[in-house]
Amino acid sequence: MPECDNPLWPCAMTGAASCLAGFDGVTVVIHGSSGCYYYPTTLLHAPLEGTFILEKEIIFGSEDRLREVIGNLSGSGKCIAVITTCVPAILGEDIRSLLEDQDVLLVDSPGFSGDIETGYAKALAMLAPSVDPATPGVNIDGVCLFDPFYAGNVLETKRLCAMASVSVGTIFSKDLLERVHHAASYTLETNGDFASGVGQSLGGMLGFDQIRSSFTRIDEAIEGSDCGPVFAELDAQEERVVQACDKFLHRYDPPSAAIFAGCSYARFAAETLECYLDAEICCIGTRNVKGDSPLPMVEATSLSKVQDLIQSHKPDLVVGSSFERSVYGNAAFVGLIPPLRGKVRLYPTPLAGINGTLSFIEQVLNACIDRIP
Amino acid sequence: MPSNPLPANISRLGGCTLTGALSVTSHIHETVTIIHGPKGCAHHNASLLHAICLDDDRMVMPSLISTALGESEIIFGGEEALRSTIRHAAGQNIRAVFVLSTCIVDTIGDDTCAVCAEEYGIPVISIPTAGFLGGSFQDGMNNALMALADIPAQCPHTGGINLIGEMNLEYEVRENSKEITRLLSLLGLSVNLHFVHDITFSQLSRLGAARLNILRSPSLIPVGEYLRDRFGTPFIPSFPHGLSDTIAFLEQVAASCGIDGCPAIASEKVRQDEMLVVGTGLNRQPVVLDRAHTGDDDLRAAEELVMRLGLFPSSGGTGLRLPVGSAIGTAGTRRMLRRWRRAIHA
Repeated sequence: MPECDNPLWPCAMTGAASCLAGFDGVTVVIHGSSGCYYYPTTLLHAPLEGTFILEKEIIFGSEDRLREVIGNLSGSGKCIAVITTCVPAILGEDIRSLLEDQDVLLVDSPGFSGDIETGYAKALAMLAPSVDPATPGVNIDGVCLFDPFYAGNVLETKRLCAMASVSVGTIFSKDLLERVHHAASYTLETNGDFASGVGQSLGGMLGFDQIRSSFTRIDEAIEGSDCGPVFAELDAQEERVVQACDKFLHRYDPPSAAIFAGCSYARFAAETLECYLDAEICCIGTRNVKGDSPLPMVEATSLSKVQDLIQSHKPDLVVGSSFERSVYGNAAFVGLIPPLRGKVRLYPTPLAGINGTLSFIEQVLNACIDRIP
Repeated sequence: MPSNPLPANISRLGGCTLTGALSVTSHIHETVTIIHGPKGCAHHNASLLHAICLDDDRMVMPSLISTALGESEIIFGGEEALRSTIRHAAGQNIRAVFVLSTCIVDTIGDDTCAVCAEEYGIPVISIPTAGFLGGSFQDGMNNALMALADIPAQCPHTGGINLIGEMNLEYEVRENSKEITRLLSLLGLSVNLHFVHDITFSQLSRLGAARLNILRSPSLIPVGEYLRDRFGTPFIPSFPHGLSDTIAFLEQVAASCGIDGCPAIASEKVRQDEMLVVGTGLNRQPVVLDRAHTGDDDLRAAEELVMRLGLFPSSGGTGLRLPVGSAIGTAGTRRMLRRWRRAIHA
């Protein structure tokens, strides 16, 4: 059955835009209709440009229109990146040769070519990121404008790196464009679903165990680092989490949880809930293709699939997006992935790092306590 | 504020036809809308409608099904995927299926109408909405309303009023609807059908029974004319914007329905005068109207309000910035006035 009801995950074009728009020094042009332009613009809250093509350009060719838009944007000193949407991608126009004489990057990432991760990876590959052995420290990876936690993840990872006297290299993908080619030799991942593959990975930043392992590797790999303060804070904050969860378990049963997210965040949520709350993970619905995991993961990219999973498992706690919140019944709810609508979010809350786990557990406990009559 | 210099050609900014049609079909219960195209097109719209649902707790997330075309369907054609999706949808407990096309399927040449014309056991209504190929958001909305107008049969006029083309994606759609209902009630009239806002498929049968159609905006005139030709129903081209326009609206509806509108108009004028008392206290400094994305009708309503309140428009572009918002009827104008009072503080 190829059809999909109420698809819950954005397309490859949006993924490419979410990568490129994160780099200061890139002007992103969506080569397509106004309809294709408006969605990433509102989702990413980033300045995007568009060609806003019309029917006549489909019939007589869109090259002149593209040239006009690029002409208006050139001269700013920024690299122009053109992302093709579905229709221009199949018109058979030789856009690449059209752009040959200009400093323009072409990312062929139409919506039908895949989901957001596909487009993100394709766009990042087009930037040809590379390691500069002279750049010290670690890169921060997995930072995608689409992710509601991206800003908090960056701040928290920078904070922990500073505590360990480690400098930060390139942030993929929220940095100056020129830093893409001067990445550090090592990388910390904040969200594995948007991994750059640049530099040697020292591990992830999701959950206390990952953070501990990653900073142990930093201690070994990076000369001059001092991860002692990070380990001390890890121990202290983990103790607080243990005490808070233990207090909850004094009075209440552990929740059964249904988790909906990309693989990386889903795994973090499941492992954290199992570890500190002895929660039963009744199902994990992943938005993207599931990797190898002992956890009970199934793909859930449509609203009906989400609804089926929630109805069949009847969880106490649903972790996911506001799509899940619209069908979660009377379960407790914690937001983990976009869209997170219907709730004001101003503070850059992290999911990665020590504060990310604290924030997640805090939200889970409060949601579960609020739900109990 | 991000700068995204948009092209001067305003026709490029008319929005997506698909979204326009979907803003209509998603408000008919007991139906399913199929979006024939890649999943991304359906997701963009599902996400938008989801946001609207969260702002409006009475609205239920509509059922959208994407034919989820991938590279192979784009190359070899998507008609079989559409056929299979319609069969799947028709098997659910619903009254009708709407099929909306996207830019890409019109570009590859899928014959969406022919596939929809096959037998599925329930009505399958094809609405031409090929994204930007089909025109603008408004074209999509108009196309959907006219396609729906073909469904019900003729019926005798019963005296109610139809509201045509309410803007379902508008934040204050219900408040505007409520205001028009209130104004009609002053004349002893009631709403026959919201065409289309939060209705069931079976309620469409009442479309031809109205004595008058009131369009949400003049951009719906093609729909008004279509309904007049089909059912013989006259129309008024717009909801009223601002104070004097509201009085004129009452006069127009009363005349069209052969009713004495004088008592209703007198009581509405009293209501408006009472409302203007709220605005006293604003006239201490020069003001600038900040129209943002509002239309000319609302700007005129705001200018009238400035005049009625005796405010001082700034000549140099500096002064207290007053937001111009949707000013449907007296109630909409009152909400704008409240926002102006808020603007004094922050």
